[in-house]
Amino acid sequence: MRPRTLLLVPSLLWFTAFFVAPLVLVLIHSFGRMDLVTFEMRFDWNLQNYRNILDPIYFRTLLRSLALSTSTTILCALVGLPVAYFISRQNDRWQRGLLVLVIVPFWTSFVVRIYAMVNALENGGPIDTLARDLHLVSGRINVLYTPKAIAIGMLYSYLPLMVLPIYVALERIHPSVLDAASDLGANGWQLFRRVILPLAVPGLAAGAVIVGISATGEYVIPEILGGGKTLMLGNVIADQFLNVGDYPFGSAIAVSLLLVLTLLLLVGRGTQRMEAIT
Amino acid sequence: MNLRRHGFVALVSLFALLFLWAPLAMVSANAFNRNELLTGWDGATLQWFREAIGDAQIRDALRQTLIICMLCTALTLPLAISAVLWWRGAARRARRWFDVLVYLNVILPEVVFASAMFLLFVRLHVSTGLVAVVIGHSVWNTAFAILILQARLSALDPALEEAAADLGANTWQVFRRVTVPGLLPGVLVAALIVFTFSFDDVVTSFFLAGSQVNTLPLVLFGLIRFHVTPEINAIGALVMIFTASVTLVAYVVLSRVNKIRRGALPTGLA
Repeated sequence: MRPRTLLLVPSLLWFTAFFVAPLVLVLIHSFGRMDLVTFEMRFDWNLQNYRNILDPIYFRTLLRSLALSTSTTILCALVGLPVAYFISRQNDRWQRGLLVLVIVPFWTSFVVRIYAMVNALENGGPIDTLARDLHLVSGRINVLYTPKAIAIGMLYSYLPLMVLPIYVALERIHPSVLDAASDLGANGWQLFRRVILPLAVPGLAAGAVIVGISATGEYVIPEILGGGKTLMLGNVIADQFLNVGDYPFGSAIAVSLLLVLTLLLLVGRGTQRMEAIT
Repeated sequence: MNLRRHGFVALVSLFALLFLWAPLAMVSANAFNRNELLTGWDGATLQWFREAIGDAQIRDALRQTLIICMLCTALTLPLAISAVLWWRGAARRARRWFDVLVYLNVILPEVVFASAMFLLFVRLHVSTGLVAVVIGHSVWNTAFAILILQARLSALDPALEEAAADLGANTWQVFRRVTVPGLLPGVLVAALIVFTFSFDDVVTSFFLAGSQVNTLPLVLFGLIRFHVTPEINAIGALVMIFTASVTLVAYVVLSRVNKIRRGALPTGLA
């Protein structure tokens, strides 16, 4: 072994013992069965745990997770694209300042951010008061502790993760490219549809992957903003491991979550290839 | 700023920034609010900060959090540094495999990682607690530190080391006088970021803390599920100031270093 290879040993051992091994353990356990009275593990090597996920209670949670992460990703893209474009069209100084303004909230403590959202969305909180003063709702807004609050909380948490990659993609567009399009008679919509959007696609794709994956596996946000019901897969996994103690079933859900994410990634890559070809 | 030309996007951006900042501003303002029920503004007070700092549970949690952060940083850095030193000169294929491992670490939903680690400890009959939390944090933080150091290294031109070798420096001297100074700002930034990530973590800690360990984010996580109180606002404001200033230091260090070395070393790592 060359001496240089020795440098790899510590981190490789580290990742093998505490990253690969635990995940393999989860995979193995997903085919096992646990007696919830005696807490004895048996390995029957069948798919019973996976079949149990098809039970409407859990399957609905799976669908809800996907619906919430999809809508969060779309919301992030809808808001993130104009913001990233706006930042990318400023001079260097303003760009740096605006980027800091987008990133700093992301760097402040995660729990505190979610807590701030609880404050904002509460009945009797500022949004509720505003909505009632403007007569937008009769009674209360009743958003907190619903799936809507989870989507808003995830948009709030992940927006910077969408803005940054789109900004990186758009920042490279030279102003003269946009000027040329305008000079050739493109109106605002055509400029967006034919020039800006195609150039933003790599950034949008990167942002969608990061936001989509984070959102699908989210645990803290549904726990707090969703009111602690088992609203998303992350909560069901945590519940199985920490409260119920059914490790095999928890493992099967964890493996399924990873399978779903892999599938989404592959579909995403596939459509991108298709677009590249056509 | 070119506002008129970008009327619509400017408006969306303004609202987005407001959306990002207003809730944090509200927490900070309410930390000083004399009105205990937070139904309105009754003037400023430092009472909630006094109560937060005087709370034994909070102080103990802060102490444990800092111990975990420091141990995690101390464990993470050598692992990451040695990994990137290998990575830099490794064969392309090996590098790619290693990159996949690192990216998987970063991208894996934390709740899956945390349950897997929890299962590992349960099956090995090792009790969870401080050590488990430190190990857990150090796994994905090593991956983040590797990414940061890789970015720094790719900004470091190999020609510098070759030049040093041509001028008669031996392997150790090249490493000591060229590679280390080049890598150092990256190490500093990685240390600050790992520290903040560990300080801020909820999920891994929640699964691996057991009954003995309580970190500050876990205390907050427990408290905010039930109620909103001025004291939590005060703790939140303090935590915000802490994490924001650590990252600000990292940012300033980075831009300073890049400025000083401009010309001597190519800049990179944003």
